[in-house]
Amino acid sequence: MADLQDDLHTTPEIGALPVERPTGATVADAFPAEAYAAALEAVDRVRALLAEHPVADGYSGLPRALRRLPWYDLELGETDVATDVPRLREGHVGALFWSLHLPDDARPDPALSATLDQLDLARTVIRDHPEGLRLARTAGQVIDARNCGRVAVVLGPATAAALDDSLGILRVLRTLGVRVLTLAGTSWASEAGLTRFGEEVVREMNRLGVLADLSGASDATIARTLTLSRTPVLCSRSAARALRPHPDNLPDDLLAALGAAGGVCMVPLAAEQTGPTLRDVAEHLDHIRAVAGPESVGLSGTFDSGAAHPQDLTDTACYPRLIAELLRRGWPETDLALLTWGNVQRVLRSADFAARAAQERREPSAARTVELDD
Amino acid sequence: MTSTEAARELLAEFPVVDGHNDLPWALREQVSYDLAARDIALDQSAHLHTDLRRLRTGGVGAQYWSVYVRSDLPDAVPATLEQIDCVRRLVDRHPADLRLAVTAADMEAARREGRIASLMGAEGGHSIANSLGTLRGLYALGVRYMTLTHNDNVDWADSATDEPNVGGLSAFGREVVREMNRLGMLVDLSHVAATTMRDALDTSTAPVIFSHSSSRAVCDHPRNIPDDVLERLPANGGMAMVTFVPKFVLQAAVEWTAAADENMRAHGFHHLDTTPEAMKVHRAFEERHPRPVATVATVADHLDHMREVAGIDHLGIGGDYDGTAFTPAGLDDVSGYPNLIAELLDRGWSKADLAKLTWQNAVRVLGAAEDVARHLQATRAPSHATIESLDG
Repeated sequence: MADLQDDLHTTPEIGALPVERPTGATVADAFPAEAYAAALEAVDRVRALLAEHPVADGYSGLPRALRRLPWYDLELGETDVATDVPRLREGHVGALFWSLHLPDDARPDPALSATLDQLDLARTVIRDHPEGLRLARTAGQVIDARNCGRVAVVLGPATAAALDDSLGILRVLRTLGVRVLTLAGTSWASEAGLTRFGEEVVREMNRLGVLADLSGASDATIARTLTLSRTPVLCSRSAARALRPHPDNLPDDLLAALGAAGGVCMVPLAAEQTGPTLRDVAEHLDHIRAVAGPESVGLSGTFDSGAAHPQDLTDTACYPRLIAELLRRGWPETDLALLTWGNVQRVLRSADFAARAAQERREPSAARTVELDD
Repeated sequence: MTSTEAARELLAEFPVVDGHNDLPWALREQVSYDLAARDIALDQSAHLHTDLRRLRTGGVGAQYWSVYVRSDLPDAVPATLEQIDCVRRLVDRHPADLRLAVTAADMEAARREGRIASLMGAEGGHSIANSLGTLRGLYALGVRYMTLTHNDNVDWADSATDEPNVGGLSAFGREVVREMNRLGMLVDLSHVAATTMRDALDTSTAPVIFSHSSSRAVCDHPRNIPDDVLERLPANGGMAMVTFVPKFVLQAAVEWTAAADENMRAHGFHHLDTTPEAMKVHRAFEERHPRPVATVATVADHLDHMREVAGIDHLGIGGDYDGTAFTPAGLDDVSGYPNLIAELLDRGWSKADLAKLTWQNAVRVLGAAEDVARHLQATRAPSHATIESLDG
């Protein structure tokens, strides 16, 4: 175990990565000596920071991307996808949320069956890569995985339609490891907000420790869930609407409300939502840190989910580059530690505690849509 | 000591493993899973065959709770998951009496602790919606057997009570069996056509079970097991768990039931409907046509014959309580098992034989399926076959 831990922190390739180490005569011409030294120091700072506080990446479409491939090897590297174990190590990714969302196009299968299939695939992939990946159901297991040099995989977000309007199915999905559910696209979590059954779903999610994901949810659903939830929520892939209008981006008032409620807005590396450059992403991070607070901002690679990525941020090895840019912009290291790791850990741990407390108080809910909403 | 006392003494050491109980479906139909409204810690004899006190009286030590859902639902998967949730909630609610069990070792641990091992069995291949991923999901949730069909055919297997379609198991059906072997989920051949039984025995490398079926030689009903299939159980290592359902075990009841079902359909009910309204229609029919009554001896006759054909190491019990409107006299609810054991003692069954019937065979079979699974998992990856790819 100990040698694996070392692997994570000192892979030989790492020197090439965070920012390109300036070498050779041409560089000496271009860089004065002090700039060269400063660049080297920045590389070391990024590396040290990420070694201590790796990236918890809020959204990965890997399971579904792998489904298309006849064969893959994540352990040695897989060029057909943006995520594999070597590049997760290069990027200092310590935890990865695996999306169980379904494709927007034609759905031959009902949402629940398709979600079960994705869960099965996710579990199989994790089992097949025991040296690189480990399923984590709780905040404690995320830490355990990291201490063993594995990337913790957290299952979710799943789509709310998979519940088939049943709290029993929510509980069963939790048993299978689902940790995050996106509250959108159903009769009880729609543009009109949460119905009474929708509110009961949120309460049962609190009881089970399933995090609410509000990216893609309506403003009404977001506002109500922030009030109702006894534990902070996530926005698995939302940037700032003030900088770039996109339906999944959050306006400043909701960002402020999210911050007040202790939630985390995870900024996607998706050009459509942030803009096409690394600087654009950094602008969004700056803005959300200012509006929601440093404790309410996180990162979400959205790799292998079909999103187009900003330049230089095209696979899971990219994070050191982004962190270097934020350092240049004057982010204190404490805020960077919260951004990459601390905030997500806090939200997961808080949900675990809230669930244990709720299970003392509350029986499993047997409420049904027909009773509460009709 | 009377034979009933001797039976109780025996069951105290080797309690009953029952292969099939439909309490979850009854809770779904009667109270929409409001477990407080049918609290099994209280006496539920007015509503159910099953509650904790009667399970204890009956000497039950392990129960495969059926997570059955009707095969005529448009999508069986959500309802099956709700059934699983129901069992898990029951176990969570009654930790002093029930213990979730997913392995043979769990069953033995429950026996040592004096709790009732609670296992799950899915009743009908419709519950996986032609998806091996969903099959693995059910396994991950604790389901340890799947009956390949219920009363209707599935796309890949023929039912005993439907028109022949694929003639047993299709290519995908055989892949389902192989994947169940790989997982360690028992292949249950109750409800399936004899052709499906034979195909499954040809395909399965692990012991199979009949979770609730009796002998077709004793009572000619398609739900029962023909002798040529029973004869194959010793080589396979599996077991047939005798069921008590009068309309399968008593010839006179077979004919009476055909008439009663016709009456239900004439009144616009599904013939398996057990809602109060449906039961009212059923009772009216019964007043006009007295129902033939099966007894403990009827079931014992089946066991005597099955023992002749399959051998003592391949028998078990699967009462089908709360899944059937009527039960034999003396086996009225889950408290009745000691009467059956007493009857068999009177017929000269030894205590060693009865220990196999009630407990040991079922534990051995689940353990053997686990061994096969461990072996297969070393060489076989999860199957991603689809019904389209194999059956065209």
